[in-house]
Amino acid sequence: MNLFHAMKSLFMCWSMSLFHAFALTTNLATAQSPDRQIDFARDIQPILAIHCWSCHGPDETSRQAELRLDVRDQAIAKSAIVPGDDSTSELIHRIDSTDTDSKMPPDTSKKPLNEKQKELLRKWIQQGATYAKHWAFEAPGRTAPSSQSSSDRSLGPIDQFVNDRFKQMQIDFSPRADRETLLRRVTLDLTGLPPTLEDLNQFLSDPSEAAYERVVDRLLASERYAERMAMAWLDLARYADTNGYNNDEERTMWPWRDWVINAFHRNMPYDQFIVEQLAGDLLPNPSRDQLIATAFLRNQGHNTEGGIIPEEYRVEYVADRVHTTATVFLGLSMQCARCHDHKFDPITQTEYYQFFAFFNNLDEKQASYSKFVAAEPFIRVPSAEQESQLKNLESEMDGLPEKEASKKKEREAMELLLPAVMILRELATPRETFVLKRGQYDQPSMRVSASVPSILSQLPLNNSTAGNSPTGEPVGRLELAMWLVDSRNPLTARVAVNRWWQSFFGTGLVKTVEDFGTTGESPSHPELLDYLATKLIDSHWNVKELQKLIVTSATYMQSSRLTPELLERDPENRMLARGPRYRLEAETVRDNALAIAGLLQHRMGGPSVKPYQPAGLWEDVTVERKGKYKEDTGEGLYRRSMYTFWKRTCPPPSMMSFDAPNREVCLARRARTNTPLQSLVLLNDPTYVEAARLLASLMIRDGGSETKDRINLGYRRCVSRNARPDEQKIIRLILEQAQERFLSNAKQATDLNSTGATPVDGAIDSVELASWTIVASTLLNLDETISKR
Amino acid sequence: MQTILDERNRLFRRQFLRQSVTGSVALSALLNADNTSAVASAVTSAQPTAHLAPKAKRVIYLFQSGGPSQLELMDYKPKLPSLHGTELPDSIRQGQRVTGMTSGQKSFPVAAPRFRFEQHGQSGAWFSELLPFTAKISDQLCIVRSMHTEAINHDPAITFMQTGSQQPGRPSMGAWLSYGLGSEAEDLPAFVVMISHGSGSDSNQGLLDRLWGSGFLPSNHQGVKFRSGSDSVLYLNDPSGVDRNLRRKMLDGLAKLNDLQQQQDGDPEIATRIEQYEMAFRMQASVPELTDLSNEPESTFDLYGQQAKTAGSYAANCLMARRMVERGVRFVQLYHRGWDNHGKLPTNIPKQCRDVDQAQAALVTDLKQRGLLDDTLVLWGGEFGRSVYSQGSLQDDYGRDHHGRCFSMWMAGGGTRPGALIGETDDYGYNIVSDPIHIHDLHATLLNCLGFDHERLTFRYQGRDFRLTDVHGRVMPQLLA
Repeated sequence: MNLFHAMKSLFMCWSMSLFHAFALTTNLATAQSPDRQIDFARDIQPILAIHCWSCHGPDETSRQAELRLDVRDQAIAKSAIVPGDDSTSELIHRIDSTDTDSKMPPDTSKKPLNEKQKELLRKWIQQGATYAKHWAFEAPGRTAPSSQSSSDRSLGPIDQFVNDRFKQMQIDFSPRADRETLLRRVTLDLTGLPPTLEDLNQFLSDPSEAAYERVVDRLLASERYAERMAMAWLDLARYADTNGYNNDEERTMWPWRDWVINAFHRNMPYDQFIVEQLAGDLLPNPSRDQLIATAFLRNQGHNTEGGIIPEEYRVEYVADRVHTTATVFLGLSMQCARCHDHKFDPITQTEYYQFFAFFNNLDEKQASYSKFVAAEPFIRVPSAEQESQLKNLESEMDGLPEKEASKKKEREAMELLLPAVMILRELATPRETFVLKRGQYDQPSMRVSASVPSILSQLPLNNSTAGNSPTGEPVGRLELAMWLVDSRNPLTARVAVNRWWQSFFGTGLVKTVEDFGTTGESPSHPELLDYLATKLIDSHWNVKELQKLIVTSATYMQSSRLTPELLERDPENRMLARGPRYRLEAETVRDNALAIAGLLQHRMGGPSVKPYQPAGLWEDVTVERKGKYKEDTGEGLYRRSMYTFWKRTCPPPSMMSFDAPNREVCLARRARTNTPLQSLVLLNDPTYVEAARLLASLMIRDGGSETKDRINLGYRRCVSRNARPDEQKIIRLILEQAQERFLSNAKQATDLNSTGATPVDGAIDSVELASWTIVASTLLNLDETISKR
Repeated sequence: MQTILDERNRLFRRQFLRQSVTGSVALSALLNADNTSAVASAVTSAQPTAHLAPKAKRVIYLFQSGGPSQLELMDYKPKLPSLHGTELPDSIRQGQRVTGMTSGQKSFPVAAPRFRFEQHGQSGAWFSELLPFTAKISDQLCIVRSMHTEAINHDPAITFMQTGSQQPGRPSMGAWLSYGLGSEAEDLPAFVVMISHGSGSDSNQGLLDRLWGSGFLPSNHQGVKFRSGSDSVLYLNDPSGVDRNLRRKMLDGLAKLNDLQQQQDGDPEIATRIEQYEMAFRMQASVPELTDLSNEPESTFDLYGQQAKTAGSYAANCLMARRMVERGVRFVQLYHRGWDNHGKLPTNIPKQCRDVDQAQAALVTDLKQRGLLDDTLVLWGGEFGRSVYSQGSLQDDYGRDHHGRCFSMWMAGGGTRPGALIGETDDYGYNIVSDPIHIHDLHATLLNCLGFDHERLTFRYQGRDFRLTDVHGRVMPQLLA
């Protein structure tokens, strides 16, 4: 332990000095002078990686003219680069050449350089052609921001880093968002739900500085927070309720989903969260929960199509685990090295299969189509209720042989009803791993043993660089998991905090949250990213603490109002001179509407549910047109969307319209589109029509007799504020037009009121209810309602 | 709306679009016209103007799901009757991997097709008696008998054909085209999918969302399913009790409210959303107009067949496809299920053929008559072919297993060579003996017709520039006019 800490502090000293050097060049580089200092990572590496390294990079088999441009000494040795002298550098000759034989990149590569890129390369060579190791492969440094305060506000550490960039850009923070906006923003961000009216009143009546922090603490402690955090994890874990592929049978992996919710609820340290999911089965005497956690790596699809070759698909599943693990925890795209050496990142094909070896030793069986339950290995997981039923049966076995036999039967029958969760289990005799030529399952070549890519191997794997631990035991998933959560791992913490940043600000500090490799985007605020990463590690991976730090920053609390100047200078808000404003995610769009209407049913966990869905969608695509979608009745219609049954070959259509993925592969960043199909969902999906009617009932019942007050109630429920006078006027007009219509045709009113399973409030006049339903539908369709701002 | 979308908003929006991925069906065209937007910068080299002059502007892909038998339809093998019942020689099978459904078979008896073949048209193309209408337009068709794929099971094979990869995760062909070309239509999606169910079997293989999914492309490029029935696009219809007039008034109010919010928040995305509601409103009119076949003259149904009056049938979908391309939809994809004839092939394949034959020939004819065939590429085929040997023991009502080594497709219009007969298979219809065309080659050629260099239509994801053709594919000049 002492040795560990000594090593750790040594390592930190080293990386700190390096970091200062890096920070300095960054600051200089961003000053926009004509002779600005070229920054290798930001300016040059992306050009070389994309335009040159395919033939002159790490991939040995495709290397041309024995020239490498990814290693400085070798580029110089071949005179491709003459530091300080672009005119004699062959590289410059070649990129400027018009002769098709010598021109680089050659026309056949179809990746021509533009003039700006050529100029950058020239300048870089003039300035000495310095290379730098890719920032993300160096451990994060600890550094302090240079600015201490700005104008009239006290700035926390996050804000000071942000302010450092402002000084270069000559911009400043936006004013703080008003309190209603702030409460709604932070409530949506931390729970995926809007604040209740009580939350709103309480917050507005407490003007103290500490009020906001109290809100944040309350939200972080809520079950709704845990659900919200788990929801984001489901895309990464490619969680679904069916197998995907041709037959797409139902599976029951939801106990794993509930494990994730519980983990966030208990604020499980993030390192433990990782270790249990990757290697819970290898911990000493694993608990049932720790076994369930490992379903993370069994969430991939499972093909039961008659006639497939099981080994081919087993290899695909292992490859999927490599892809998922590398993307989720390391922010690396390792799958590029499956068929050949990586073209851009220094990961060889051999290293890919060394990483593959960690996941290649599972006792995983091919399941068959008929009567699919789960693919071995799996465990049956009773709910609390089922557990007590089983116990009762047990206790009733009182020795009478006849009774015993029937109880045993009963018990067996009951066990078959318990959800089966596919988990990880190692083979007793390890499976050998080979490099697979072109990634083909039946083309093994060299045998390899488990290890991490050498680019990251300055951090030893269980104190050994490859193959075996010092005691001679082969290294496996547990060692890999421990390596990932080692405080010196350069990527794990950065990738995690960056994703959380994305969930609060809409864009990560590294925009390419799934790619921290050489072709990924450089961080907008490298020091801030490292500050947050080291903060996470130093707090013993305390997720809530880190998130609290972010949402209580002045940066987060800014108004999101976009001025023409900001739009011009920073349209994507990468400099963070304003608060976040963007459309809610698919699940939150629906959950928000259900909550606004008072329809949302809070129940944490359990089997997935089937809310409203247009008839016939499943039968259009299922095998033999079997498998009908059977809508739930009652509670199941109104649960949070993260509990909606996710069929991979036919995912919930309203979720898909709002950019949800089909969950076949791991996804770290959803698109954010704005389409007419979204408008149609919000206007016409029975979910939203019913929600509008229920919101209308609330406005009529609880809003008082004055139209103005009713409208204000609707606004407060939807956007946490009262309607402004001009909005009141427009809403009144909509109301009057609707009333006029429904008065002249009362049947239309009862027709509209009949949408949805919730009974109509008989105490309200039908025409009045329908008219207010039109108003409520308008409110649910406001851009503001479906946006965080 | 012009009063609401004032000049200020438009300026805002334009500026915003340069920087952000704000896709939408109509805006995708705008995005693509703008080199500096985030989407477009990834696709800068994929601008139609930057590549080749496009011959095709749109595609109709008549996908025959399940793997139609080349041996009963277009790949005439005169020696098969004399080989009927004999064992498939090892010299032909060459250790070829077969699916788990027949790998346990001890014997692989050759099954000769039970249908008559004749030559047709100037080109002399052979067609079986099952496709009399298609045979009649053979001189319009570019017939390929030498398609091949590595995949031998449905899921990987169909995924390969639609996405260029056997494994999940890539964008579908239609999504690539939506991304590359945008939409021609003001009020219809760029990429439409329609599914019909064959009469020949009970659709015993699944279809998958990924076949029309957007993969890692922005999700507005995913295919929009058109279904039979009144809600032909999901959630298209206003709820009962809301008439068009009331909806219009509500949307007017909504637009004003959203505009006020834009003035408050300054976010040009709000102006885009106002436009999306307008487009949704227009779609509510344009889609029913599109799907309403009642204004088609009786001569249309003489051409396509009376089946075209049955909503959701392949024939109706063919007619819909014509109406869609007339209105500017870029990529119309039909899926006709039921070609997976593992057994009772002679009983079932004629029914499948009756589903499709007249209507698909009519579609080509109709497009030609309307002057649309020149720039509309029609594609017909499945995910693989079927084995010459019988699945199980040889019976009168034999079945055939999957076969990837050769299968047949045809194309028409859009710059493809009419009357061309491409490729040849051996006497068993098992191996290709000349002019093999791989799926990647088909994709490369298709993109070429649409004006794209398949190596330059790329999208960067996780550090890699992905293509529909992965790292493969060659344009096949013999397919081109």
